Amino acid sequence: MSGAGKLIVIEGPDHVGRTLHARLLSARLKAHGIATHTIGLARSELMGLLVKSRSADIHQLNWRTRSLLYATDLHDQIKHEAEPLLGAGFAVIADRYTLTPRIREEVRGGDAKWIESLYSDVPSPDALIILHAGPRRLLNRIMFGERLEALNHFEAGMDLALSPSITSSFLQYQKMMRQAFQAAGEKAGATLIPTRLTVEQVHDKIWESVRPVVSEMLQPIEEL
Amino acid sequence: MAKKGILIAVEGMDGSGKSTQAKLLYHWLRAKGLPVYHTEWNSSTIVKEATKMGKSSRRLLPITFHLIHAADFADRWARQIEPVLEIDGIVICDRYKYTAMARDGSRDVPAEVIEATYAFAREPDLTLYFDVPVDVSFDRIAKGRPKLKYYEAGMDMRWTTDRFESYRIFQGKVSDIYSGLVEQGRMVALDARGTVAEVQSRVREAFQQHIDLSKVQTIDQSDRLAQNLSESDVDWLTYSGGGEGE
Repeated sequence: MSGAGKLIVIEGPDHVGRTLHARLLSARLKAHGIATHTIGLARSELMGLLVKSRSADIHQLNWRTRSLLYATDLHDQIKHEAEPLLGAGFAVIADRYTLTPRIREEVRGGDAKWIESLYSDVPSPDALIILHAGPRRLLNRIMFGERLEALNHFEAGMDLALSPSITSSFLQYQKMMRQAFQAAGEKAGATLIPTRLTVEQVHDKIWESVRPVVSEMLQPIEEL
Repeated sequence: MAKKGILIAVEGMDGSGKSTQAKLLYHWLRAKGLPVYHTEWNSSTIVKEATKMGKSSRRLLPITFHLIHAADFADRWARQIEPVLEIDGIVICDRYKYTAMARDGSRDVPAEVIEATYAFAREPDLTLYFDVPVDVSFDRIAKGRPKLKYYEAGMDMRWTTDRFESYRIFQGKVSDIYSGLVEQGRMVALDARGTVAEVQSRVREAFQQHIDLSKVQTIDQSDRLAQNLSESDVDWLTYSGGGEGE
């Protein structure tokens, strides 16, 4: 499906370190002579800006409408960016792909099969990596690493009415999300990596699962 | 699970007169005191904004066109259609999922893909297809406007560089898909030629033939009166209700 290039997908909750590791992976691949391009949720030219600027409104929509908007956003990137670049031999890194939009609706009672059907025709990943971390670790990263206001209503699962407290709701919600990610990851043959490790350790584990996929494309760094 | 409520859809080409007829059907049922709701192919601002952006940038491809319109429909389903059906009301939909089948199908999105996306939208109890010859509906639209919009005319498909010709090709494909749906028995074709009154009497006839209203609870008379009054003014000079005047 992905032609000459390779599709590498990194999934996981917010603040788990996805974007950092997508960037590191991209840099390492480039150093090895592989052209890369990164796609991700809410990044399409078609509606990325809208999805980002109106996220609160989108969170108010019903799960089907929200799923369809995210599917539109991802398909725009797949058709205009990923497919042509995969055909040209790029390593396309997806900083979240079809799993996150499915799992977070599944946790909210959405129909997983129906959501999957929206992505029936997309390129399948050559490597699927799921980063995970304990809910308390994620919470600490937000509250004491960034700022308290970064703790968002939807990412805390407040719409599920788990608890009137945003922090305890967050802990319960992220626990559900982590279990759902793990179950889906095991089913899909994903590499699950805990980000309680150091950045270098996590990167090495990611490289371990990406390297075999791109081995034929790799060029040495040292030689001149 | 038993089907709840009564779902009526009207479908047809642009310019077939279906919107006028759907509204008349709504007013008739409302006058009968029935709990009826009318909805159109358009919904929340956020989805509308997204669609508008995609159209103005001309970045929409058949698959994203399909998904974004489905998002619009899903919003309408959740806000307007499902809640009314849940309480056993009657919903009249001016355009339903068959519009997507016809339009997206004309853009070569596979029928199975469209069916899967719209799987949550059940088959209506009655779908009326306003049947007019393609030439007639084409003339009504083409003569009424100086310009056709890019996506409306199907220019994204690059069938031709002439907008009106492209629209004619597009409408031909739409019409073929609609005819197929009629043949499959998913829609009832209704001759949409003639005066508004003539067509409305055919609409009512088809409605009475297919829909059993015996189980629908009418709205309480006092609520209906209150509703009517809230929408009109009272002539206090000739007011004959109870109570003493000043």
